[in-house]
Amino acid sequence: MIKMHHFNYALKMLLKDKMLIFWTFAFPIILGTFFNLAFSNIENSEKLKVIPIALVQDEELKTNPIFKTAFDALSMPDSEHQLFQTHYTTEKKAKELLAEGEIIGYLQLKNQTPSLTFNTNGINETIFQFVTEEITQKSHVIHQLIEKEMSKQQTLDINPEQIYEDVLALVNEEQVMLTDISSEHLSYTQIEFYTLIAMTCLYGGTLSMIAVNRILANMSAQGKRTAISPTKKQTLLLSHLLACYLVQLLGLALLFLYTRFVLNVDYGNHIGFILLLALIGSFCGLSLGMAVGVLFKTTENVKIGILISVTMLGCFLSGMMGITMKYLVDTRLPLLNQLNPASMITDGFYSLYYYETFERYWANIFHLLLVSIVLIGVSIFCLRRQKYDCI
Amino acid sequence: MIVFKTYWKILKKNLPLVILYTVLLIGFAASNIKTNEKNLNFVANKPDVLLINDDEGGEITDHLIGYLKEHTELSLSTVPEEDQINDALFYRDINYVIYIPKNYSHDFLERNAPEIKVKSTGDYQASLAEMILSRYLNLATIYQKTAPDPLEFMRALDQTLAQTVEIQMTSPLDVNQLTKATSYYNFASYSILACLIFIVSLILNHFNQQNVRKRRLISQMSDKKHNRFLLLANSLYALTIWFVYVALSFLLVGDIMFSPHGVIYIINALMLTLCATSIAFFIGTLVKNPNAISGIVNVIALGSSFLCGAFVPMEWLPESVLTIAHAIPTFYYIKTNEMLKTLESFHLDALKPFLMNQLILLGFTVLFMIFTQIVSKRDKKNWIIHLIIGTFQ
Repeated sequence: MIKMHHFNYALKMLLKDKMLIFWTFAFPIILGTFFNLAFSNIENSEKLKVIPIALVQDEELKTNPIFKTAFDALSMPDSEHQLFQTHYTTEKKAKELLAEGEIIGYLQLKNQTPSLTFNTNGINETIFQFVTEEITQKSHVIHQLIEKEMSKQQTLDINPEQIYEDVLALVNEEQVMLTDISSEHLSYTQIEFYTLIAMTCLYGGTLSMIAVNRILANMSAQGKRTAISPTKKQTLLLSHLLACYLVQLLGLALLFLYTRFVLNVDYGNHIGFILLLALIGSFCGLSLGMAVGVLFKTTENVKIGILISVTMLGCFLSGMMGITMKYLVDTRLPLLNQLNPASMITDGFYSLYYYETFERYWANIFHLLLVSIVLIGVSIFCLRRQKYDCI
Repeated sequence: MIVFKTYWKILKKNLPLVILYTVLLIGFAASNIKTNEKNLNFVANKPDVLLINDDEGGEITDHLIGYLKEHTELSLSTVPEEDQINDALFYRDINYVIYIPKNYSHDFLERNAPEIKVKSTGDYQASLAEMILSRYLNLATIYQKTAPDPLEFMRALDQTLAQTVEIQMTSPLDVNQLTKATSYYNFASYSILACLIFIVSLILNHFNQQNVRKRRLISQMSDKKHNRFLLLANSLYALTIWFVYVALSFLLVGDIMFSPHGVIYIINALMLTLCATSIAFFIGTLVKNPNAISGIVNVIALGSSFLCGAFVPMEWLPESVLTIAHAIPTFYYIKTNEMLKTLESFHLDALKPFLMNQLILLGFTVLFMIFTQIVSKRDKKNWIIHLIIGTFQ
């Protein structure tokens, strides 16, 4: 079916096209580098960090040392439990620090009641509020329990110090038993790199689209020559498509190696499944390009525009410009992502990374194959028996 | 007018790409719309928590649910759909999952509190959710040890949990609305750059093709007139893009666009539009191969968007990336948008950094115009020399 010299010529033509080389080999690597620069810090930024706050140091704080003691304990530098970096200062200075953004808020005791001042809403402000409330509540518990114990022991010899010690020991005892069963693989920025692989698979369609254009008599001079040559169109098309697939896989392999070993992207440990998904994803890209080449009767540039637009839209829906979009479509319009090859490829990698079972992976593979077969079927149906008396 | 008309004809052919970038912007803005409520008071952050309850009707569990409803965005479920839960955690739709085991209330009252399994995203919100849960469990255990009667200890627990602190806000800003506007305009930088650079440079490239230039050389139309029409068409196109995106922001962002903050967002977008147009002129003059334009546009638009914080908030970018970003005009545009989130008053001192950013954007615009002039003059000289040599050969 495939003749070697046809295949060689097709390969040479592809490798000599600078634009195709750029889109297949260079662009995904450039984009991957941008992803790495932009997302390298994002997950660390979302973890709890030391929060700068201030306590107004006045007479009221001196008479109620519970807040100072608690915030001192939570502000110990290098401690595992350090939550705050606390400044003790005057009210005026605290206001200045807040205005300059040096602290997120300050605490002042007014008639022994804590009052917090913030500039804005936010998670750090909520945590400061939460801790202050907790100190107030613990102090309330201590008072309540001491009173209760005192009333119990009215008739007996009261030992206030012992009661205080007991209550404090009870309050400070670690009570909570929580067991964290979260997965270790929660790095959502990986999704961005998976969409990149999906994009590369689908951009590979540009290769097959151009290959189809070279065979269509109404698209290029080469197509006209091919149409009147005695060579079977089927043989030529297969040779071209095979060459496209090979170049596409080469580009994908380069991207894999770059993202895995230079950018340290985690694809999971199932190398066989990863390869299978890459092969089928590329095949889907190839069939998409072929379908665009055959179905749209327009210039090559417009066809490239259509293909890039479809790919970019697919990648956007699969989370390339923010992973929320993928989840939103998955939960609200699941059918859309089941028809979107970029989303299926992304989801396939996601399931290998995050899940221990393979049902979801195989579902994605099945959908990808189905879409590819439909696209190829439609393309073949439109390509067959095209004859021109005059063009 | 023929130049002007041809410009729009070529633009019409490439309109799907303009529509695509606009759809991306609308999609992004729509996915960010969570609330349109105005808010000037302090509102505590509420983490998204899912509670899987296997102890339905349990006294303690019901009391815990009541408390969690007050402090978190709580969803309840009795049947755990693990795949859905795991997806929701991964995509940060929920921050924390609490699994209440069977007979939890009974065991708790028997002083045999079983462990509670949790799943967490490990971020700020998840840490807050864990603090909220731990506080309840700690206090409940203390009271349970001292007052074994469930009613009595729950009453005491409620009294303690009702102890709150007074909060004052110094800023009169509606941070939610401003954050939404900033996100919209930050993402718009990508659409503005992509739409303008792609279309303008592609059309300029068409007009600079050998055959077209030769025909123009022998036509009656002077270079000056030709360039004037081209400039007019480009400016009109750029202003249309700016106007459409600003109009969309009124629809998608809300009331804040009618405030002085909104005016600065709009002016800032106009400055970026001008800068993007001058970059497009430069690329259109410099790049001879029309097929190369889409590659260059993608690298410039995506690169500047990723490096300057259009997709990822600027405060989350590493220092090294931000240092590089200083050399890119989009950085000053996004910096202005970010600063607007905390701008309270509009006196000259407060506006100085904004004016400075606008000046820098203007500086970039002028710089690219100068580059375009240099490249254009050099090209014209070389082209005429080649034409003369070609004629004599």
